[in-house]
Amino acid sequence: MSGLDRRGFLKLAAAGALGAGLTACGGSEGGAGGVSLRYAWWGNNIRQQNYMKALKEFTAQNQGIQIEPEFAEYSAFQERMTTQMAARDVADIFWIASPQVLTYHKSKLYRRLDDIPTLDLSAYSKADLDSFKLSGELNTMPFGIFVPVIRYNETWAKEDDVELPATDTDWDAWAAFLIDYSRNNPGKRKGMAYEADADLPFESWLRQRGEQLWTEDGRTGFTVDSTRAWFDWWDKLLKAGAVLTLSEQEGMSPDWALVGKKVLAKVGNSNHIIDDAKMFPEQRFKLRPMPVAAGAQAGHPFLYFPRMAIYQGIDDEKLQAAGKVVNYNTNNVAMLKTVGLTMGAPVNPKVFEQSKEFAGQDEKEMLAVVQAAREAERKPRFEAPPGTNTWRTAMARVAEEISLGRVSTADGSKRFLDEVQAGIERTRK
Amino acid sequence: MSRVSKPHRQGGAAHVLLIPWWLGLVLVTAVPLVASLYLAFTDYDILSAPEFNGLENFHRMFQDEYFWAAVKVTVIYVLVSIPLQLGFALLLALILDRGLRGLAFYRSAFYLPSLLGTSVAVAILWRQIFGDDGLIDRALSVFGLELGSWLQNPSLSLSTLIVLNVWTFGSPMVIFLAGLRQIPEELYEAAKVDGAGIVRQFTRVTIPLLTPIIFFNLILQTIGAFQTFTQAHVVSGGTGGPANSTLFYTLYIYQQGFTNFDMGYASALAWVLMIAIGLVTAVHFVLSKYWVFYGDD
Repeated sequence: MSGLDRRGFLKLAAAGALGAGLTACGGSEGGAGGVSLRYAWWGNNIRQQNYMKALKEFTAQNQGIQIEPEFAEYSAFQERMTTQMAARDVADIFWIASPQVLTYHKSKLYRRLDDIPTLDLSAYSKADLDSFKLSGELNTMPFGIFVPVIRYNETWAKEDDVELPATDTDWDAWAAFLIDYSRNNPGKRKGMAYEADADLPFESWLRQRGEQLWTEDGRTGFTVDSTRAWFDWWDKLLKAGAVLTLSEQEGMSPDWALVGKKVLAKVGNSNHIIDDAKMFPEQRFKLRPMPVAAGAQAGHPFLYFPRMAIYQGIDDEKLQAAGKVVNYNTNNVAMLKTVGLTMGAPVNPKVFEQSKEFAGQDEKEMLAVVQAAREAERKPRFEAPPGTNTWRTAMARVAEEISLGRVSTADGSKRFLDEVQAGIERTRK
Repeated sequence: MSRVSKPHRQGGAAHVLLIPWWLGLVLVTAVPLVASLYLAFTDYDILSAPEFNGLENFHRMFQDEYFWAAVKVTVIYVLVSIPLQLGFALLLALILDRGLRGLAFYRSAFYLPSLLGTSVAVAILWRQIFGDDGLIDRALSVFGLELGSWLQNPSLSLSTLIVLNVWTFGSPMVIFLAGLRQIPEELYEAAKVDGAGIVRQFTRVTIPLLTPIIFFNLILQTIGAFQTFTQAHVVSGGTGGPANSTLFYTLYIYQQGFTNFDMGYASALAWVLMIAIGLVTAVHFVLSKYWVFYGDD
């Protein structure tokens, strides 16, 4: 060994280890004696940039609180959460993907939120707060509202001189309109994309039939018959050429940038208009409620809440700061001005009203449909139980096979329900 | 005067320098390997402690239609893509070995797809080529054939991934090229003197002397093909669709472990794959006695 003998090498290694150790000490503390919080969320690049900016604004206003952002695309976010949970190294504040709400709850990831003075809950009614609770405890905080909608391209509807059915139309009338449109429009566009796996629209279909996706005791709340009727409805549209084929839309969960050029309308979540409309700035998009089944059950409308939580294992000295961050996310219109309304309409009624003042036309469109759903009679809605985190994948797989003619709607529906129930049973064992 | 000899001192330093490697081997490979073996016999959802369930995960595999779909896809892929890839790589190596001008450029150019083959850019490229209204679709429509998106056609989607694998022939090609350079020129001259034409020289000189290289490439590429993940994940968007036609075995392991939180079952699947690869490799070695010729044979 030239230049560095063994003793020298060991000294160097020891110095390096000491340095690394010192660097690690206090690594989670913010500069100048403050606290540092890890904040995890998902989205696309635009959302990442907007939230980074908003979090920076927050730290500028709250000296002593540093935020370490942990951002990922939706699927990658869930995978990272899984590994972090296994290592018990979860971010201090994190968003919760819809299929995981009760799975994380079962794993005791959430800290209760109603005893944190820095999180102001005064703007919410008791009924609102009760609807946010899981197992009777307020341990997650909704920060947006989505409702199922049909989004349509108003510019093309006008160009093609078509009149859409009334907003309270039923499913058959809507299907008849799509079939007629697809056959006769000069642009050879299809009525909609094939989205038989769309979760909120499917839930709307079930609730109108007096069923629900999940029951209060953590089971499936729907039947094979209702599921089959849903797939049949889509299959009829597919066979009539009123929706895109898988080939035309390049698979299930189509990319809007691709299918937006090919369809008049699509089913989906109310908040998607905000990012999707930007991809076609020349077009004007509008939202309308889902069709309503003849004899639909009262209270079928529902609100879906994306939620965030504070990690159960958060250090005590960080808790008040974490409360401030959640408060900023849920109760502060300044943050929404920076990030926009891509995560839905504000849940806080005051902030909801304030957001109307700065909302753009697409955002106003979304706020209007959410407002209508908010004012409607609503039966309770329950979150996906543990063991169902892949229910949407299972549904997409079956929808795909039905569209390819590889399985009948009856067999596909049974298989889908069996698969979901098997997942629940495995977790209950 | 030091009591320790210089070679001994150097040996000690070498051991110290090897510590990071040993740590990596133990912490990143050996410990997870042993842990996954244990987990293969448990019900483990990541969130709660693993519970020993004996051979249940292995029994479950036999009744799991997705497991069989994944096995079928992977086996077809290995059986079809490896011979095609190696054949193509050998063909290109033979062409390049003929003293082509600008050899270094071609070698690099042909190697490039091996580097790009598992990137996200390839997913976009593949959609442009095989997607609905893509390059292939347009070309075929000239002849009145309209197949639509190959990627969304269960009968064709796997073939696009086989094409992708064949396209990444650069790595075996470079190894073949090195092997071809090792064959003594005198053997070809002697064969010519004996009246052997190009084909006979190829079958009687090139192929026999290249068999150790073919064997090496075969082993490496077969193991790699069994472990194919990124291409399928990128091109199918992680679903293994359409209709499970690109549900590669490793993709299924990933889905079970990280999407379904069924890490016990995923570990069992991983061990079955490892044993299968081990068996296939062992069979290759046994059979190699009959067709691989080393210089000292």
